[in-house]
Amino acid sequence: MNRDKVIIDPDLNSFFSLKEIIKYKSLLGNLAKRDFLVRYKQAFAGIIWALLKPLINILIFGYIASKINSSESTTTNFLYVASAMLLWQLFSNVFNDVSNSIIGNSNLFSKVYFPKIVIPLSSILVCLVDFFISLIILVVLFIIAGQPIHWHIILAPLFVILTVINGFGIGLYFATINVKFRDVKFIVPVIIQFGMYVSPVIFSTTFYLDKLPQWLHWLYCLNPMVGAIDGFKYALFGGDVIYNMQYFILSVVVSFLFLFIGIKYFFKFERSFVDYI
Amino acid sequence: MEDNIIIKVEGLSKQYLLNKSKATQSDTLYGNIIDSARKLKNITRKKETTEFWALKDVSFEIERGDRVGIIGRNGAGKSTLLKILSRITPPTTGRIEYAGRMASLLEVGTGFHGDLSGRENIYLNGSILGMNKEEIDRKFDEIVEFAEIEKFLDTPVKRYSSGMYVRLAFAIAAHLEPEILIVDEVLAVGDSTFQKKCLGKMEEVSQNEGKTILFVSHSIETVLRLCNKGILLENGKIKAVGSMQSVAKAYLDTNTGLHSKRFYDVNDKHNPGGEHIKLMSVIVHDDSFENKEEFDVTKRIGISMEYEVVTEGLIFTHTFNFNNEEGVNMFNTHDTVSDYRKEPRQKGIYKTTMWIEPNLLAEGVVLVNVAAIKIEPFTILFHELGAVSFTVIDYMRGDSARGEYTLGFPGVVRPLCEWTTVKQ
Repeated sequence: MNRDKVIIDPDLNSFFSLKEIIKYKSLLGNLAKRDFLVRYKQAFAGIIWALLKPLINILIFGYIASKINSSESTTTNFLYVASAMLLWQLFSNVFNDVSNSIIGNSNLFSKVYFPKIVIPLSSILVCLVDFFISLIILVVLFIIAGQPIHWHIILAPLFVILTVINGFGIGLYFATINVKFRDVKFIVPVIIQFGMYVSPVIFSTTFYLDKLPQWLHWLYCLNPMVGAIDGFKYALFGGDVIYNMQYFILSVVVSFLFLFIGIKYFFKFERSFVDYI
Repeated sequence: MEDNIIIKVEGLSKQYLLNKSKATQSDTLYGNIIDSARKLKNITRKKETTEFWALKDVSFEIERGDRVGIIGRNGAGKSTLLKILSRITPPTTGRIEYAGRMASLLEVGTGFHGDLSGRENIYLNGSILGMNKEEIDRKFDEIVEFAEIEKFLDTPVKRYSSGMYVRLAFAIAAHLEPEILIVDEVLAVGDSTFQKKCLGKMEEVSQNEGKTILFVSHSIETVLRLCNKGILLENGKIKAVGSMQSVAKAYLDTNTGLHSKRFYDVNDKHNPGGEHIKLMSVIVHDDSFENKEEFDVTKRIGISMEYEVVTEGLIFTHTFNFNNEEGVNMFNTHDTVSDYRKEPRQKGIYKTTMWIEPNLLAEGVVLVNVAAIKIEPFTILFHELGAVSFTVIDYMRGDSARGEYTLGFPGVVRPLCEWTTVKQ
């Protein structure tokens, strides 16, 4: 009788349970597989579309960057923009997909019980697959530019993970709000668009901070993507990309703070989602 | 918790807040901001929310191996109870304890995606229902065989016929192996043959494998056959709990006042008889004129109608219509024998009785319409829809058209037919 005993009570707070997620790992994989398969079904060029959007962005913003920031060579500008753009694309995809994932799958959890956190987690998997495909662009650019590789490159995965954490934390928060307020689907693209211009995507953190008054520096670094992108650039190119270690750490701390808030908020309302959908 | 109790529900309630006014506005962020701004400015236009208790203080226990039928009218709280039991929505108060693996089928084919192939959907839907990959791998061939879709395994399900779609969806659900199975009636979708196949599978699971089943239904006939225990919900509260027979009876007693007997007030302006005739009573009874709610399928059933003719010289005959719960008109009959049908009536009270032969109706609830009609020219003097209802039950003694067979048995009539077999 005590085996697998389940208690259902009115307590709305639930918790992040790794055990539950592992129990539903088949579901996690199958949801991701579904999203991935469905996206390119009946699309002739298929996966190439995943490459086109970042490629166009890189070409446009790389060109702009090399025109404006003449302190660096065109090649360096392009490589910086490409690496930052791919990471930004990963962030924006995770953020956008996670924040829409709950309402997008309400037909599932309004009929069957499973830990709802599986849904946003599966969105991450899909975004990661896209990201790894788009890395092809970066590899090709590296080869064309003859860019040498440093030992720091082993740090790169850490900043990819940090980017996912950023998108996931903020995304979860918005996914929860989205259940009740559908305005989220209009707000998220605005945040993403605005966010790109205040993150070191087109220009480096140094470029921004040199132009900003001193008292605004810490504000700029509250942006969790500053740490992720700068760290990623450091891993790929080395050098003095990281403007100020304190600012860098501040940004990383903010990332984890957002993750914590996102998870906390999500689990506070998770059980009653069905009543608001 | 005692050993044989598998589900224990204590004081379960579920409250919904209904936004009476401006429901759409406060659903948007803008609406909420406006509302908050109003509050700040102290224009507290009180938000009109009404509390609605979908379930109120529901407690019961279910023993291992029980097959429980949950019945009640629309809005009685059946679906809410199911949703709480299957952990889709939390209760407002109260608590449930259960042990073992639970699967709930509130819908077939949850998460099916039209663009994915049958194969891909089996894995997707199976994992949504809580199966892991190994389990699905093991059951895969069985599922495909049950659904009869071998040839179309790699075709996107959007190209499936609706029959194939439902078969596949049900096949996956049927191969779950829970200890507790929660099933909503809507599961039985599709054509009637398929419905019976689903119900047959459920009976097989419950009776042969000793699983605990909770089944929500409108169909008294189905729950009577399938379930041994019953719970009747009314306005979110438990109205009756106990053996399925007794609960079904309690349901029929309360169900829109449809009993096996009904009396009408002849002085009432709205008496269904109209201006020339006053309907007095309609009673369903057995051979010895005893009024009952349930009738043995192998016995004769009588229906008597009393009425008063208030206009001298009317010519009419009597008609009864018999419908089942699904609204299928099973048969109609009118009086073609009595001498009264052709001669002008004198004023006064008349009683007309009609007999249904044994072994004619199938099991289930029967609703009776009564009418008085004039054949030439065709005129309806009155037609009372749903005057009375009664339930036909097969007590499974082996002397009915079922013989020894106890599973699903479709059809609106159940005659005993003559069969002969000779070796040629």
